[in-house]
Order: sequence, then structure tokens, then C-alpha cells
Amino acid sequence: MRPLTFRKLFFQCFILAVILFFVVIVALKFGAVPVSLYALGRDLLSVLLGRSSQISSDYGLIIQNIRFPRVILAIIVGASLSVAGTSFQALLRNPLADPYILGVSFGAGVTAVLGLIIEPHLTLPPALAALFTPLCAFLGAAATITVVYFLGRRQGQIDSNTLLLGGVITGYFLSAIIVFLMSTVNSSNTRGVVFWLMGNLSTSFQKSVFWFLAAGFFLATGVIYASANDLNILLSGEKEAMHLGVDVRRVRFVVYVAASLLTGLAVSVSGAIGYVGLIVPHIMRLIFGSDHRTLLPTAALGGAIAVVIADTLARIVVAPNELPVGAVTAVVGAPLFIYLLRRRLA
Amino acid sequence: MLLPRLHPAAFAVLVVFSCAAAPSHAQSGTHSSAEPPTFREVVDETGRSIRIPQPVRRIVSLAPSLTETLYALGLQDRLVGDTDQCDYPADAQKKTKVGGGINPSVEVIASLHPDLVLVTKSYNRPDTVHSLEELGIASYATDPHTIADIISSVKTLAHVLDLPDAGASVAEDMQHRLDDLQRRLGDLPPKRVLFVVWTQPLISTGQHTFLADALRHAGAVSIVNSSQDWPQVNLEEVAKLQPDFLVFAESHSGDASREVEKLATLPAWKIVHAVRDRRYAVISDAVNRPAPRIVSAIEELARQLHPDAFTEKSGDTKRKTEKENPPSRSLAFAPVPWNQPHLSHGHTSVTGGCLCGR
Repeated sequence: MRPLTFRKLFFQCFILAVILFFVVIVALKFGAVPVSLYALGRDLLSVLLGRSSQISSDYGLIIQNIRFPRVILAIIVGASLSVAGTSFQALLRNPLADPYILGVSFGAGVTAVLGLIIEPHLTLPPALAALFTPLCAFLGAAATITVVYFLGRRQGQIDSNTLLLGGVITGYFLSAIIVFLMSTVNSSNTRGVVFWLMGNLSTSFQKSVFWFLAAGFFLATGVIYASANDLNILLSGEKEAMHLGVDVRRVRFVVYVAASLLTGLAVSVSGAIGYVGLIVPHIMRLIFGSDHRTLLPTAALGGAIAVVIADTLARIVVAPNELPVGAVTAVVGAPLFIYLLRRRLA
Repeated sequence: MLLPRLHPAAFAVLVVFSCAAAPSHAQSGTHSSAEPPTFREVVDETGRSIRIPQPVRRIVSLAPSLTETLYALGLQDRLVGDTDQCDYPADAQKKTKVGGGINPSVEVIASLHPDLVLVTKSYNRPDTVHSLEELGIASYATDPHTIADIISSVKTLAHVLDLPDAGASVAEDMQHRLDDLQRRLGDLPPKRVLFVVWTQPLISTGQHTFLADALRHAGAVSIVNSSQDWPQVNLEEVAKLQPDFLVFAESHSGDASREVEKLATLPAWKIVHAVRDRRYAVISDAVNRPAPRIVSAIEELARQLHPDAFTEKSGDTKRKTEKENPPSRSLAFAPVPWNQPHLSHGHTSVTGGCLCGR
């Protein structure tokens, strides 16, 4: 393996971070409400200087309360999905793996629908009620992760093929339950679920949710990054990795849990945004190579860039209405994936 | 495009239309009565020409609005089956259920041997109509897009079912109440509202729906200007346009007041003044159904948005309106807090100015 120089990693991440910065500026500039670059710069500066109280104009409030949190959410979700995709692809040694392949999004969907049904019957304080559906979705994602983990075990350890098949079947089963719930329970309660399942970043959250998401992201990504070297060795084969002294069982378990949690976090706040976790790692691998020590951070930044762009398109293409962001990523992602696939075969 | 408000002239046109339609029915009716079983050929609202066996004794309704219309026409005894969603009036729940409106069981429908199945284009699927056609079961489709359409649709349906008098009286009552409302509201500036179908993501109603027309009749105008029927609306647009009121239909998940409290904790919704000041109206689910009862929902909304127009009148008119609305419906809007009249009024007159320019 080529040695990793800090300079190289820093350089690659720096370029992507600069791109992300410009994409964020564009995302903040464009939207249903026009904002001048000057006003944007002035408002951003006062936020950075900790004087956000000076922003009094309605446009400033729109940027501060709607657009900016949404861009941050897009960054966290995009980075999470991309890191999770990269990890699953290494873990399952399958380039077609994406964060949703193990049924996590459907598990979140089932409990989100259940949450929507029972929430009106509970008398929760408003702040908790607003969080109830995402919380349910996260619990559903976590439960699915656990079930699929046990389904994917063989002789006490995870087997890639069993895990993959177990995950896919669990996903089918859970999506059938979603259809069942939506066609039996009174329809008006579940109307929004369709939009939610298509992927959506328009949901507004309290500030604390963002801290929680960011903490979860850095924790899980850190855990995966600590195993980056082992993932590299694992790519050459399980036996080889074992002979080289990698604790394959431990690496699999840790990476599986961390990547699933990333997926669960993303899906609980945004629904299922497809193709990001599949395409971005592929593109990053093409550009920066498949060393996970550089791939993981670049994929995180690339995923953030991709989702911020996709969400900006979702907001402005049919403004003042919106498209579900999942539709945008699918329309762009599917042809791109076919192109990458054909290119690899050629 | 603005849909025309209903006024006496439009009503006259409707009457002419239905009178013109009536003789053709009668003619074909007498023509075919020579050889039994008799059929009557009519063209439904989607332009399909259908043959309806005469007389129509057994009807299956595949939409809550059509079930309500049949009850309003006093045809409940001929209704032999309806859908899981048909919950009004309470008696409709006791009818044989043929499944959901979207996915009814054609087998159950056939087993009821209906003379006619009623469908509505925006709610039922064409597949259902085709399957019924193949079984030789006649189906009549309505397709109302405005309140005027709903009134004329009720009348035409009554003609098709050979009850023109009942149709005329139901239509007249609806029209009368709407005219009365129009007189009360006079030239008050319309309140700018956001009709909330769903909150996260925000889904509202487009301009070309009967719902948007119902808002207009209630002295309100939707801030959402979309040709889509159920558009997903960007919150930025709402924060920019600042609606005077949010409007919820009761069917929306849970209690609307709790929904608003929930929204008030979220940064993106906090900056919408109507959420911050808790300015919202809750009306009956009837507003979602193109049936005669929609007029009650329109009245409820008008009363919450323009309380002044209803309080300044003398006591006896108040009693009269209470008589028109059964207590259960009055209860529905009694606990709803609306803003102090003078305050919300002042707010509207400011933003009302912007509205004229739009």
C-alpha cells in the first residue's frame, strides 16, 4: 500500500471543501425568495460575528431560519449517506451496495408511519411532538439494523452474502408492511408519508437536533475511519486479511453498526434519498483512488456537495413549489450510475 | 385564471343548461320504454355516454362526496353499497362496504347488482370504471372543479336519477346560502390564507381545485398560486407572502391547535406570523368533499375569518344561522381561538393592499 501523506489528504479535502463552500453560497443565494449576494454576505458576516440579532429583515430571517438550516441538513445527510455507502461497499465487498440495501430506510418508514398514526393520540408537549416522527424513524432504523445483523450471521459472524440477502428480503417485507399500513389506516394521516419516502429536506428541526446529528455523524465516521486501514486490507479478501492480523469479525461488526447508524440518522430526518451513497463513493474512487483513508473523507465532502446541489435544484426548478429531493438524485443518479457501470465493463 | 364567482346570472345559466338537458333524458326515456328492459342514454361529466337501466333502484357510491349527495337528495334507500371512507352521515357507515374508493372490490360491487355505480373522476381510478364496464355495470362519473360545478353536478345527477325536484331544492338551498354569505361578506377584502393539507413537507392546494374555489366563497384567497392540485410548497414562499391565516381541515392528523403549537417550536415556521400569533382556522372535513355539505364548511370558514361580518348583524339573523347548522357542527368551530377582530382586521387591510396588485 502506498503511504499516505498528510499533505495529499489535506490537499484533496481542501479542494473539495472549497467546492462545497461555493456550492453552499449558491444554495443560499438561490431559492423561492430572491436574495442579493451583498445582503447574503452582510447577513453571513453578522452571523459569523455572533451578531445574528442584527438581522431583522424578513429575507434575513428566511435565510437564517429556513435556507441555512436546510443547507446544513443537506450537508450532514449527504455526508452520512456517502460515508455509509463507502463503508457498505467495502464491508460487503460489493460495489452495488448502497446505504439502503439492508432495508434500513423501509424500517424507518414503517415506524414513521406508525408514529404518524399514534402521535395524535398521545398528548406530548409540542417540542417533543415535532420530533416524534423522526425519533420513531430512528428507532425503526435501529431495530432493522439489529434484526438484519442477526439474519446475516453465520456461525457466529457476519457473512457478506447472507447479510446482503437478509437485508434485501427484510426491506421487501417492510415495504409491504408500509403499503399495508397505508391502505388500511385512514388515508389522510399517512398522506405525507409518500412525500417523506421520496426523500425530503424541507422538514424544519429545532437547533438541538442539528447538534445531535453532527455529533452522531462525527462519532460514527470517526469509528469507521479508525478501521480505514483494515477496510483496505479486507478488500483483498477475508482470508488474506485474517492472515495479515486483521480482526475481521470486529471490523465487520464495528463498521456495520457505525454505517447503519449513519444511514438511520440520515433517513430519520430526510426519508430515503437514493443514489447518493451509491454514486458518490464510485466517483471519488475514480478520482482519488480506493484507499479508504482518503476515500472516506473525500466521499463525505462529495456526498455533502451532491446533496446540497440536488436540494438546491429541488427548491428552484419548480419554484415556488418543490420537488422531492429524492426524485432529483434518482433522475441524475441512475443514468450516471449506468454510465459508470458501462465504462467499467468497457 | 380566476374562476367566476357564483352569482344569480351564473345560476340562471345553470338552470337553462339543466332544463336543456332534461328533455333529452325524457325523450330517450320514453323512446326506450317501448321495449323492456328500458335504458336511458346520458352523457356523464367526463363526456362518456352511458346507458342506464331504468328505473334506477340500486345504487353503489364509490366516493364519500357522492354518498353525501345521495343522502342530501333523499335517496339513501336506493344506496345499497358505499366505500370505507363514506362516514357521513352516520347511517352511511352501516351500508355494505365495497372497499376503499381507490381500490374497491369489483366482486362485491357486482354481487350487489347495482343499476348504477357513481364515481368521481378526481377520486376513483379509471381502471375501476373499465372493470365495471366489462361486467356490464353502468357507471356515472362526476367531475366538479368549482363550487358552481358542484351545484350543477348535484342537479344533473338528480335529473339522471329522475328526481329533478329534489336536485333543484338542494341546489337552491346551496345557492341561497352562498348568496347570503356573499351579501354578508360584501366587499370585505379577502383574507390571504394558506390551506394546509400536510405540514412536513408542506402540501397545500392548487388554484384549479374546488377547494381553492371554496376558499374564495368564504372570503379568503389562497397565497399558493400553483396549477398542480396538491403542490409541495416552499416555506420560504410562505414566509415571504405571510398569510393572514392558516386553514386546516379537521381530518388533518390530530388536533389543529396542537399542530400549530408544534410548528411554533420549529425555526422555519416561527417566522411565519400566522404561526407566531396563532392565527388559524379549523373547518369541517366537508371542505374536502365536493358535496352539498361543503357550503357549511364555507360558512364555518367565513365566520372564523370575518367574525365582524357576522356579529354586527342583529340577533335574529344569528339565531337563524344557528338553526341552519346543527349543534355538532357549531361545536366544531366553537373552541377555535381566532385573533382579536380589530387586530387581525388591521393586519389584513395592510396586506390586503398588496393583494390587489397580485
